Amino acid sequence: MKRLATLAALAAALIALALPAVTGAAQSGNDVPKRIVALTPFAANTLAKLGVTPVGVGETLGGQTRLSPKLKNVTVLPLSHPNGPNLEQLASLRPDVVLSSRTWVKGNQAMEDLGIEVRVYEPLKIGRAYRDTYRIGLLVGKQRQARAQLKAMKKSVEAATKGIKSHPKVMLLLGVGRTPFTMLSNSWGGEIVIKAGGELLTGGVDSDSGFARISDELVVAENPDVIIAVPHANASDIPSLTEYLKDNPAWQSTSAAQNGRIYVSVDNSLLQAGTDIARTIRKVRSAYLKN
Amino acid sequence: MARRVSVFAALLVALALATVASLALGAVKVPFSDVIDILLGKGPGGPEQQIVEALRLPRTVEAMVVGAALGIAGAILQGALGNPLASPDVIGVTGGAGFGAILIIILFPGSIALLPVGALFFGLLAATLVFLFAWSGRNRGSVGKVILAGIAMLSLFTAGTTGLLAAYPERAPSAIFFIAGGLTSSGWEELQTIWPYFAVGFIFALLLIRPLDRLALGDDVAASLGSRPQLIRLAAGIAAALLAAASAAIAGLLGFLGLVVPHVVRMAGGSSSHTFVVPASAIGGAALLAGADTLARTLRAPIEMPVGPFMVILGVPLFLWLLRKAV
Repeated sequence: MKRLATLAALAAALIALALPAVTGAAQSGNDVPKRIVALTPFAANTLAKLGVTPVGVGETLGGQTRLSPKLKNVTVLPLSHPNGPNLEQLASLRPDVVLSSRTWVKGNQAMEDLGIEVRVYEPLKIGRAYRDTYRIGLLVGKQRQARAQLKAMKKSVEAATKGIKSHPKVMLLLGVGRTPFTMLSNSWGGEIVIKAGGELLTGGVDSDSGFARISDELVVAENPDVIIAVPHANASDIPSLTEYLKDNPAWQSTSAAQNGRIYVSVDNSLLQAGTDIARTIRKVRSAYLKN
Repeated sequence: MARRVSVFAALLVALALATVASLALGAVKVPFSDVIDILLGKGPGGPEQQIVEALRLPRTVEAMVVGAALGIAGAILQGALGNPLASPDVIGVTGGAGFGAILIIILFPGSIALLPVGALFFGLLAATLVFLFAWSGRNRGSVGKVILAGIAMLSLFTAGTTGLLAAYPERAPSAIFFIAGGLTSSGWEELQTIWPYFAVGFIFALLLIRPLDRLALGDDVAASLGSRPQLIRLAAGIAAALLAAASAAIAGLLGFLGLVVPHVVRMAGGSSSHTFVVPASAIGGAALLAGADTLARTLRAPIEMPVGPFMVILGVPLFLWLLRKAV
């Protein structure tokens, strides 16, 4: 009797210990989503690197050249405020999960109301990009590949940030217009510039959005060495936009204008995170910061 | 008479204070003594000199010119149309200018230097279309036709603007400040381009003061005194369109000033004579815009806010207080 009780207790303990693992395996086996829509270039390219082809990708700012060639035959969903993708088009793809952006707050809610799982993967910090890479891997049942991908990313970013020789003062602008916004340290572009060794000019301003319209007086007083503008324009607009920025009376006396270090970046890699983080940092260092 | 003189004096004091504040205050602290030295040509050089000479001074002058222009535009339109709700919006200028500016920002960002020209062109185009429709067919140039045509043009161009913003949402942030209204530290360049339109508009407005006083007596009385009411309305519309389009080209869509400032000076001065209202609206408008712009630049410095909301915050309490007293 005593032996039976001991055996029963042991069996109960074993079942209690094993149950989570069994159910977890069962969950990961059954719940790996088959039909994924990725609305951000980061999410789309991460899936491609993990060997997963989404059923739809979001149209990216600045065109589709930032997307992996592996995704060239994937349905592209145009994105617009406030929902992001057209919900009917999205629904027709029958997604199990949508990897979305915080920009589409209203749309994310609407997708969830349609019974679609929504996860936001749009990092504004490189550390967050590492984390989200792993989480996407976990989602699609490719943890091992995600860990390898993560390791490779960290290694390439470390290499890209080695040997920084100087730390020029940088003003990073969003848009051109008559009142461009300054990108702050909690924006993706700000994070890249800081990692590339730039001293980001923010006037000590914090803003949840990552952007702020900063007084031109501050620009004159802080005297940036480099000005990088990120407008929504075409490559052919770069010369005229550069001239326009140089003529701004607030900036004419800055070191940036005097030394011909006003640049216009149109590939949007400073606007939205992608998986090409190391390449973006290297480009910023060689083309703009020259450090 | 004494009341009008004291209102005038008060407006001049307000303008002087607003001007001093606009030059002395900003995101960067510049000692007041340095500001004076810089303006007198004895500046210490360096960033402070550039901030005062290249940023604050042109911006202050722009605020005064635009504020005066919008105040005058509202005053002469209200007089010409005999309608207290008349403003540059009514003749479609604001809508047209907004569309022209957004068109450049959104579709031709590489040609952003043409923004003031785009705003001016479409502002004047909208006003021209309003006058063409209002002066065609029966009841040519009647007040009702002008206002209805203006509202139609405003709706048309506003719809165009909204459509552009919806089609290119990622470019919308560049347009927000223009739509909300605000001055920029763009030096003297924009004024150098646009000043002829201001000049012609101001001259037209000055010449219209007496005819508008005659028109205020009624079309029949004005005609018997040798005036041509429809011609006066047309001339007032042209002057207002020039002033409002030029203002929008520089400062975006500032819709409150042209409507409310003339009423404020009328209620404060107790007179509707255009000899008083037009110049008083100019000074009042200049003071309001210069003061509001200073607030917009300094309240959350170094973040700059659009000036439109601050104009309303400053102007509405005074307007309501005067309105209560008048009623």
